Amino acid sequence: MLSKRVYVAWFVVHFCLITAVCFAGIFSLVAEGTTMLPSALQKRARKAELIAALVLGKEAAASSPVRQGIATYLHAAGIQAGYTFFAPNIPGYHRLTFELYYEDGRVEYASAHVMGRGAALRLDSLLDRLADQRYEPIREVVVKMLAFSVWRERPDVKKIRATFGAVSQPDISDFENGKDESFQLMFSYDFSLHEEEQ
Amino acid sequence: MKEHDATNLPRRWSENLMGFLFPSETDKWLGILRIGLGLQVAVYALFLRSDWHYLFASTGKGLVSRKLGEAITSFDSPLIPKLGWLITLGGYAHIGEDSVLSIAWACLLCMGLLLLLGLFSRPAAITAWFLHLCAAESGGLFAYGADNFMTTGLFYLMLSPLPDRYSLDHWLLKVELRDPQLLGFWRRVLQVHMCFVYLIGGLAKCLGNGWWDGSNLWRSLTRPPFNLVSPDILVRFKYALPILGISICLIELGYPFFIWIKKTRLFWLVCILAIHGVIGLAMGMYLFALVMIVLNVAAFGVGSAGPFLRYRSENDEIRMSNVEGMIK
Repeated sequence: MLSKRVYVAWFVVHFCLITAVCFAGIFSLVAEGTTMLPSALQKRARKAELIAALVLGKEAAASSPVRQGIATYLHAAGIQAGYTFFAPNIPGYHRLTFELYYEDGRVEYASAHVMGRGAALRLDSLLDRLADQRYEPIREVVVKMLAFSVWRERPDVKKIRATFGAVSQPDISDFENGKDESFQLMFSYDFSLHEEEQ
Repeated sequence: MKEHDATNLPRRWSENLMGFLFPSETDKWLGILRIGLGLQVAVYALFLRSDWHYLFASTGKGLVSRKLGEAITSFDSPLIPKLGWLITLGGYAHIGEDSVLSIAWACLLCMGLLLLLGLFSRPAAITAWFLHLCAAESGGLFAYGADNFMTTGLFYLMLSPLPDRYSLDHWLLKVELRDPQLLGFWRRVLQVHMCFVYLIGGLAKCLGNGWWDGSNLWRSLTRPPFNLVSPDILVRFKYALPILGISICLIELGYPFFIWIKKTRLFWLVCILAIHGVIGLAMGMYLFALVMIVLNVAAFGVGSAGPFLRYRSENDEIRMSNVEGMIK
């Protein structure tokens, strides 16, 4: 067996990294004001989040070997994200709808789809990411790719309007009173596909 | 005397730490982890069978280009494995992207089956970890919690002292079993990791008011694509939702403490397994449920000697020897 000290050293480093990742996640939730903690704590939580980010090497330059080494290890061990699933609260879900305009004037509605349930959960996960501010720079590109996947099945479509928004579910009492879910538009894009094809 | 105690304190701490990290363990837990993760990998591959190419194809062929996911991953670090690496390698051998993706899928399924049987356990664990990591990172935009837990489980499995006595490696190839203390170390790693998972999960849930009034439970069960149970049925149990929501918070938050105590371990383990069972059946998150059940059962489900239990049994031994001395 390798020296026990080597194992102990690895154990300490490994769980220090897990602690930093997990608490960075918790501090981020507090800093964003999504928890029921007083807003006075938000500034301190932001500072604490920065300290956790420092431990993880995220404050170093993108090309820093330390930063890249830590990131590679975190991904390899599957510990790059904290365990704040379904917490602190569960927001509404998101919907992406495509309005398909055909050359003959017809209009149809469609959404991006996959075949299996396993992949459907992943598609849902992608839509939730699109709503996240951090994914704003790639939002249009991803929506364009999803629109393109729909267009490949219907090549005679001339134009696609993609509308993305958050769906708020009714709470129990609203549901009992017959209230339905509500859709709030977040953004929309128009894609002219014959230009894309060229 | 006090001075003597003070100089001994660091040594005693060090001994206690070593005792905690390197308990002697059998390989039962490792057998469960191997078989469970083998099943998980096989089910993962079969679940994604029909969408595999669609999810991981490059620009213009799939749902969202694999290259976009890989570019985002590369921003974190270019050293993180990706399917693109395999496709580039395949290119050198004049194997097309579709073929490489098919081979990767078939290999992943085979590794899952090999792990199930315990044949070439360590190479199978390493290959399964690598291929799954490639897929999870290339499809990072589509990833969710189950992927992280699968990566972690396979990461620990490939580092653990394989093979175990239930594997074909041991029966057919007569591969020697490993040091019980090393088995104990890797089990401790898994146990401590699970405690982190539930401590953080429980803490984050406790900070949301929706878990205290049951509204989060309602939302999670009525939100597509998790809405397998009709809302009309859930409404009938509306008074139970706050109790269930609080129970989930307390069970998760209490896990890192009560799972180590012999008297409460079984209760806590059954509660956690029940939560994951319900998540799997009522929300359709089968992969997530399966991996969590496997990790929990491997960590605490079989013949586990927690530190408190060890401490108590040692005390009992001392007490018994004292009693014997008095009788003599």
